[in-house]
Amino acid sequence: MIKLEKVTKIYQSGEVQTVALKEVDLEFKEGELIVLLGPSGSGKSTLLNVCSGLDLPTSGNITIEGDIISQMDHKELTRFRRNHLGFIFQQYNLLQTLSVRENVEVGHDISNDPFDVEEMIEQVGLTPNINKYPYQLSGGEQQRVSIARAIVKKPKILFCDEPTGALDEENAKEILGIIQKLNEQYKTTVVLITHNPSIGIIADRIVKINSGEVVEIITNKTKAKAKDIAWG
Amino acid sequence: MLNKNVFRTLKKQYIPLLLLGIMISLSSFVYTVMDYGVSGIYEPTEAYFKESNQEDFAISMVDLLLEDEIIYLQSNYVITEPIFTLSGLEKINRTAFEDIIDIRKNAILDLYPELTIELREYKDIFYSHQNNSHRMRVLKNSSVINLAYFVDGHHPENANEIALTEAYANQNHLSLGDIIQINQDTYEIVGFVLFPDYSLAMFSNDLIFDNKSQTIAMLSDEKLQLLDESIGFDWMGDTNDFYSEETFKDEVIQTIHNHESLNFVTQVILTKNNMRSGAIYGEIEGGEAIGLLLSLLIASIAILIVGIMISKILQSQRGSIGILKSMGYSNFQISFPYIFYLSVLSLPAILIGYFLGFLAAEPMKNLYLLFYLLPSQPIEQHLITFLIAVGVPFIFILSVGYAVVHHILRKKPTTLLNPEVSKSASFITKSISPLFKKFSIQSKLKHLLLYRSFVKFIIFIIGMFYAAFLIYLSLSMIGIFDRSIQLYYEHTEHDYVGYIDPSNPYQPQLVGDERAIELPSVLMNLEDVYLVGIDSQSTLHPLINRKDKNITGDLSEGIIISESLRLLNGYEVGEEITIDLAGLTYQSTIVGVSYEYSGKAYMDIETLSLFMTSSQSSDYYNVIYSKNTLDKNDFLMVINNQNIINQTEDMANMMNAMTFILTGVSISMGAIIIYILTVMTIEDNFYNISLFKVIGYNQKEINKMILGGYFIYGLIIFIITIPISYLAFILMTRLLANQYDLIMPFELKIWHMLLTIFMFVVIFQGGAFVAKRKLRDISLQEAMKMYQV
Repeated sequence: MIKLEKVTKIYQSGEVQTVALKEVDLEFKEGELIVLLGPSGSGKSTLLNVCSGLDLPTSGNITIEGDIISQMDHKELTRFRRNHLGFIFQQYNLLQTLSVRENVEVGHDISNDPFDVEEMIEQVGLTPNINKYPYQLSGGEQQRVSIARAIVKKPKILFCDEPTGALDEENAKEILGIIQKLNEQYKTTVVLITHNPSIGIIADRIVKINSGEVVEIITNKTKAKAKDIAWG
Repeated sequence: MLNKNVFRTLKKQYIPLLLLGIMISLSSFVYTVMDYGVSGIYEPTEAYFKESNQEDFAISMVDLLLEDEIIYLQSNYVITEPIFTLSGLEKINRTAFEDIIDIRKNAILDLYPELTIELREYKDIFYSHQNNSHRMRVLKNSSVINLAYFVDGHHPENANEIALTEAYANQNHLSLGDIIQINQDTYEIVGFVLFPDYSLAMFSNDLIFDNKSQTIAMLSDEKLQLLDESIGFDWMGDTNDFYSEETFKDEVIQTIHNHESLNFVTQVILTKNNMRSGAIYGEIEGGEAIGLLLSLLIASIAILIVGIMISKILQSQRGSIGILKSMGYSNFQISFPYIFYLSVLSLPAILIGYFLGFLAAEPMKNLYLLFYLLPSQPIEQHLITFLIAVGVPFIFILSVGYAVVHHILRKKPTTLLNPEVSKSASFITKSISPLFKKFSIQSKLKHLLLYRSFVKFIIFIIGMFYAAFLIYLSLSMIGIFDRSIQLYYEHTEHDYVGYIDPSNPYQPQLVGDERAIELPSVLMNLEDVYLVGIDSQSTLHPLINRKDKNITGDLSEGIIISESLRLLNGYEVGEEITIDLAGLTYQSTIVGVSYEYSGKAYMDIETLSLFMTSSQSSDYYNVIYSKNTLDKNDFLMVINNQNIINQTEDMANMMNAMTFILTGVSISMGAIIIYILTVMTIEDNFYNISLFKVIGYNQKEINKMILGGYFIYGLIIFIITIPISYLAFILMTRLLANQYDLIMPFELKIWHMLLTIFMFVVIFQGGAFVAKRKLRDISLQEAMKMYQV
């Protein structure tokens, strides 16, 4: 599904070079839920950026379903994100001027084969709040809206960057539960970044990163449910 | 350290800051230059008007002799020629002329004994100077009102001495003691003279008042009497403080036409409403008001933009500010660098504007004096002007800056350390959202993103309106002087105008000459007009309407008025009008409008002849239009149209140059506003742009949502401003017409509109391109981690 071959990313700031990723080789399979685990500055966000086409690698190849995205230009990358990818961030990134339904429509309207908006809102448990504005919702509810917005366009891969970073334990587990459910129900590949090791139990595989290198890949033989996470 | 941080932050915004600096400088410049420019004239002018006893009002009267005046002349004087006019009478018998003048004067004073009036006599001379056609109005010295004021030199005492204006002398490189040739006569220039009833060298209703080819002048009384030219006259008046401006209007101007004994009076006009003498009052008041208004408008837009920019900069620094606050820095310590740099950036801009304004005030004053015949004094700085030009905008900018800084600083450090998330959708957004229910999400966003920050949206709207209006105004003024002066001559087919000498009437040639009647001061619906009688088959003076159609033949059906009369008095085709001429009354209908700004009304010559001679003569004429060269000896005066056109060209060129400068400045101002607002709009939306990019919206869709709204609303503003500008021009035209009986023919043409809208599109897209290029450098992922607005 996603294949990284010797991917290196170097940031240049003045005369200082920072190597964020060092010749990373990695493969994500269709329908997998991968957790990228690592401390701050380990390179996990950079890895997500280059995997998703938000940034380009300095060297190496990234292939998603046979398309080499590391060689695409901005237009092609945009088209690729539009057709194949969904994003969830720590900040909910909702448009404050739009209601819940309208925020989800933002994702719905650019997809060729989207899910039904109301069905998605129901999936994230927000049907009673469908006409509310983001400021009328709790943090957890707002993150559910952003999940619905990401999933509604039926992406093949969902990238989640610290999706529970701004939430309390209860809400965090609920959000992870929804992501897990959508992964199982729609076979969407999920790449989830976190610095919380306990979240790893819901993944098919855990990829540990440190100093820009993949230091360990752990395969979970039995996946736990999000509600069973012992929040650390 | 904090200073460095603020400095580096501001450095990144150098283009908008530079443009803002230009706007702030311009605001201070406009006020300073107008205030000092006018004050350099105002103070000495006040003293001059008082010393010379400037007239409070002027009275125009018909040149035509009244029926009882003719009877009086027949019984008291031996006059053999058929005389119909006072000017004709003056040529033949000066004593009889003065007798009639006394009768008219007494008729006025009998009814208004509190007034003092004195006859202003003059003769207009056309002559060639250095191969150019020039015109001189020689005024007869007065004894009570509008006394001659000698800037230099003395009264002409003998027949070969002349005094003229310093402005004319300067522009023609003449000095005191020089000899000037006026037709066959030579004169020594012995004085530079001013008359308070001619603060502009304006000798007709045309907008011609250039001092290079026109001058007022003074000769000895004896020499003036000897000149062949026909005499012109009106009354100069002093209210002796018996009437206020208002009571004079009510008790004299409004009532004078009710008295049959005063049916020779065509117009009474207060000095303040008289362009040639009173325009300077309007110029002084208007100049200062326009200076202040323009300055305020520019400053207010600049200050609003300053407020938004500081707000944006502070929002981007909110994390740093939060850290500083949490470390224990006081609000003053944090805010000081911002206020300091705001002062450092704005004060020099304001001071530069002020000093450039001060330096430009002298040329500005001289520009006034190119036209105005007034004394002047060197320009000095005044504390009040300095405080208004520098202190007021500076304090305003600092206050706005402080208010914005204070707004951020009063928040808790923890709030500042977290990304800002809007706590609510604005009232406007919520209210307006249902209206877009059926729109697609992209179209909905296009509008809703605008209303998210209503204040910024309003500033955008005001800024765009201001830019649009400035550009339309400038473009509509292009060619304004060509239209007002030259349009008349473009339509006429004759090259010469000869004014008949009643003592030696010229007989027109069969080919190339046409008879006409010109009556400079006739009442039409109680308004003073210049009435012209021409043949309805005239080929030398065709009347052409706005659609370029020859309507001369319509004279057989009624009266044709000029475009300027239509605008001045609101006449419409089909309207019944009454003409009063020295006690005679004629009723007719307006049948057409001639596209010219001459202030003339046209009648069929035969009809006019029968009317003005009480049916005694159907072939009276006092003017010959000709394609052939007319011999000056056969006429009182011969005017060469080409000479007049040449005479006006210099002035028109200069006015056009000034209009182009105004156009350039206005377009630049408009462009700066559009550019700054566009760049700010894009930067303001960088979070949304990044979000849409991440989700997968392409550039076209993002442009539609983010810029589309602003672009459409900007476009709507530019389109809505067209009728608003049009109405404003009509209003300005009416105001000038009411104030001075003067028409400024603004013209908003299709290409003006298209060009303005094209400029908006280009500048908007250019600004958008620059701003979007900056946004490309921001990592999409990073943008997602930043605050929401």
